[in-house]
Amino acid sequence: MRSSVMPLGPTVSQDRVITSFPKWYTPAACLQLREHFHGQVSAACQHRNTGTVGLKLSKVVVVGDLYVGKTSLIHRFCKNVFDRDYKATIGVDFEMERFEVAGIPFSLQIWDTAGQEKFKCIASAYYRGAQVIITAFDLTDMQTLEHTRQWLEDALRENEPGACFLFLVGTKKDLLSGAACKQAEAEAVRLANEMQAEYWSVSAKTGENVKAFFSRVAALAFEHSVLQDLERRSSARPQVGDGDIIRMEGHPPETQDSKRPSSPGCC
Amino acid sequence: MGTKMADLDSGQKLLGVPPPPDGVGGGSCSGISTELIRSLTELQELEAVYQRLCGEEKVVERELDALLEQQNTIESKMVTLHRMGPNLQLIEGDAKQLAGMITFTCNLAENVSSKVRQLDLAKNRLYQAIQRADDILDLKFCMDGVQTALRNEDYEQAAAHIHRYLCLDKSVIELSRQGKEGSMIDANLKLLQEAEQRLKAIVTEKFAIATKEGDLPQVERFFKIFPLLGLHEEGLSKFSEYLCKQVASKAEENLLLVLGTDMSDRRAAVIFADTLTLLFEGIARIVETHQPIVETYYGPGRLYTLIKYLQVECDGQVEKVVDKFIKQRDYHQQFRHVQNNLMRNSTSEKIEPRELDPILTEVTLMNARSELYLRFLRKRISSDFEVGDSMASEEVKQEHQKSLDKLLNNCLLSCTMQELIGLYITMEEYFMRETVNKAVALDTFEKGQLTSSMVDDVFYIVKKCIGRALSSSSIDCLCAMINLATTELESDFRDVLCNKLRMGFPATTFQDIQRGVTSAVNIMHSSLQQGKFDTKGIESTDEAKLSFLVTLNNVEVCSENISTLKKTLESDCTKLFNQGIGGEQAQAKFDSCLSDLVAVSNKFRDLLQEGLMELNSTAIKPQVQPWINTFLSVSHNIEEEEFNDYEANDPWVQQFILNLEQQMAEFKASLSPVIYDSLTSLMTSLVAVELEKVVLKSTFNRLGGLQFDKELRSLIAYLTTVTTWTIRDKFARLSQMATILNLERVTEILDYWGANSGPLTWRLTPAEVRQVLALRIDFRSEDIKRLRL
Repeated sequence: MRSSVMPLGPTVSQDRVITSFPKWYTPAACLQLREHFHGQVSAACQHRNTGTVGLKLSKVVVVGDLYVGKTSLIHRFCKNVFDRDYKATIGVDFEMERFEVAGIPFSLQIWDTAGQEKFKCIASAYYRGAQVIITAFDLTDMQTLEHTRQWLEDALRENEPGACFLFLVGTKKDLLSGAACKQAEAEAVRLANEMQAEYWSVSAKTGENVKAFFSRVAALAFEHSVLQDLERRSSARPQVGDGDIIRMEGHPPETQDSKRPSSPGCC
Repeated sequence: MGTKMADLDSGQKLLGVPPPPDGVGGGSCSGISTELIRSLTELQELEAVYQRLCGEEKVVERELDALLEQQNTIESKMVTLHRMGPNLQLIEGDAKQLAGMITFTCNLAENVSSKVRQLDLAKNRLYQAIQRADDILDLKFCMDGVQTALRNEDYEQAAAHIHRYLCLDKSVIELSRQGKEGSMIDANLKLLQEAEQRLKAIVTEKFAIATKEGDLPQVERFFKIFPLLGLHEEGLSKFSEYLCKQVASKAEENLLLVLGTDMSDRRAAVIFADTLTLLFEGIARIVETHQPIVETYYGPGRLYTLIKYLQVECDGQVEKVVDKFIKQRDYHQQFRHVQNNLMRNSTSEKIEPRELDPILTEVTLMNARSELYLRFLRKRISSDFEVGDSMASEEVKQEHQKSLDKLLNNCLLSCTMQELIGLYITMEEYFMRETVNKAVALDTFEKGQLTSSMVDDVFYIVKKCIGRALSSSSIDCLCAMINLATTELESDFRDVLCNKLRMGFPATTFQDIQRGVTSAVNIMHSSLQQGKFDTKGIESTDEAKLSFLVTLNNVEVCSENISTLKKTLESDCTKLFNQGIGGEQAQAKFDSCLSDLVAVSNKFRDLLQEGLMELNSTAIKPQVQPWINTFLSVSHNIEEEEFNDYEANDPWVQQFILNLEQQMAEFKASLSPVIYDSLTSLMTSLVAVELEKVVLKSTFNRLGGLQFDKELRSLIAYLTTVTTWTIRDKFARLSQMATILNLERVTEILDYWGANSGPLTWRLTPAEVRQVLALRIDFRSEDIKRLRL
């Protein structure tokens, strides 16, 4: 139960509305092949029966070597800018992005961590409680791909096993020719399968695949949240506040004692 | 003919008569052609055509009549028009005259304004001429002035003249050179330029000398001259060079003092933080004192440049201090040691967490000081930019903001501190984890207390660690520490409590039941005194019981403490945010981490609930069940005599209440009121469920039903006194059963059922009502079956 404070505020911008399930990048390494929402989920969304998911947010942690372009990727998505100036992230940065998935408001809280070794201690304190781990590497530097194993291991150590969606993202796609890109991707897909991660190639400079990628992240995280919520509500013993809306029957209030409207858990 | 038709048409329009429908009239030919008529041979057809032609003729005639009727009106209109003719000619003449007048006036105005324009031009040229004459005079004056001033070593005066010269319009000078006196002006200019160069050289030289001698008035004197010569950058860089030297010498002095400090000194533990503070204060003082001069003589917006130079020196000095700090305090080595210790199954010798205490405090203090210093710089530079950029475009402002961010975020000071804090986090984590472990290991329970020492200790430690991280003034550091604390509480510490609860509440031994349970502690004591029993067994069971109850209290206090911790942190941080610490996202970051921490509170609450369920099922249920089962041995199929006897000698309920009371007393003494409340709530639910079961197994007659009603009433009355929640709801079904068992006749139920139920909401289904009715042996089953419910 995350009691996160989520602003109910303004509606999300049009390009953050996800109505149909975003597709994978490559079927060779993806978390699920389905191209539409889980039946239970779309039913729940239609009936607005998504519990607290609409008020919830999923935590996304982005890790990877320094200079692979984690901050650029996030800035391209959240602010639609690309700054050529390289500035190392100190500690952690933080962006909040609002979506509307299948008509339900949903938020991603994106934590941008420092890639420099000397800031690792502080960054690793932020790995916990992540629903999504994005491991980024530089498509033009295969060394960084090798290092993703270590990054992933570090991030997973702070989280419960099996609780996170994993993504492997190759950045700076614009710097590579088609053939070179294919070759790098083949290598990355192999590793992604080993990690049980979904693979994406993106370019923060041109913006290629960036929106599609984050939409995919949001949709998967959202679906998972809804399913979890449905499961929790069906299995969990009633808790205070989980019950149905208390329905008052049309009786005079002074006789309430004998027929107090029952709401599970409000004993 | 054509004009006539047109007239007619317009006449029609004027009168508003609609034009005749197409193909019928309006001058057009009939729809039937002559050829058609000729080709006709049959009489009938001819007649038909004739008929149609007649019809058409009539229509045409009607139209003609209508048109003729309009003749009069049209003629009268024509007359009016003719009459208007002469008037129009008059108007035309007037208009022409007016046009003539306007043209004349216009010409006149043009004439006048062109003269004014010429005058204006002349005036402007005159002004320019005067200006140039002034400029030339100025030039001469400057030239003379510079010479004299230089001879008199009045550099300010000389610089003022040069400044005047530099401010002159270059094109004016160029023009003047082309004039008659060109050669003279040329010579003058040459002299002036020479003087400028000479002055620059002199000022630079004198400034250098003054710098070397540390002669502040002289330094400031020449510093003020630079901008007059257009050498803003150079002036600032030279001046800051001088200031940097001062900073450096002071810093070196301070560092030497540090190395000589006695370890017993009061401030020895934070000596490096103090040194940094002195350094920062020194620079801040310099900024403070020299900002007015810079602003006055160099204009606003220049402070950034000065501080940029100063920051380089500051970075250098900070590096030295931090290097010394790292060396003298074995910072890196300690970190590596901690890192080794943190690895699971490490064999290396553990660092005593208490030993880390001073160094952790010092690091946070160092960071706090640098944050304060950087904030000071940011405020100063921002406000200076603000004044300078008041007229500037948005772009320039952003550019300035960006360069400011870059300067402050990427300076070596920031990076060094971040590195220190990075290592600090790990060490603080170790400190927290080890100290928490110690608190758990040293857990003690004092009689009379509800909780054991470890809960308070653990939260004291967590609070201390987070508080220390907070004192570093770094939001990243604080959030990281909150996260680590959350992990510690959620996994490690919760596991400790969870494991204790998992050992369970020991099932009550036979002796306990025989004695009637009083206080667990009492038993232990009495048995010890009597020495009759194998005390060890009882002791350990009692200890286990007590441990279980204490753990329950602990869990509850934990979830409460987390909420308190959150509130404290929130209020502490509001202060921090109000000071403007951290970027725009600091608050969001903090809120996010804090909400994770609060979520742990719920986990403890869940754990408490689990524990209570366990207690209810292992400790209460096995005892309560047999007590309730004795209800079965009390006959509720009774006569008047027995009923009266029951009145005097209660057969069941009083003893049951007594037992309950005794049992709950034990828990009441050793559980916190909140938990005890939840437990009694669980207990009452249990009693209600179990009692319902035995009632359904018994049989009743009218008096038996009355007896049961009495028993239930006293039970509810008792339970109401021990619980703070209402229990009516839980006993609603039983009360309704008692009502049914109390009926005179089967059909009497209808007075309470359906439309007659009034305020009563039935919790029993019709089938259950029949089942309860069947418990009355004096009710006939046919009557029950016949009931319509």
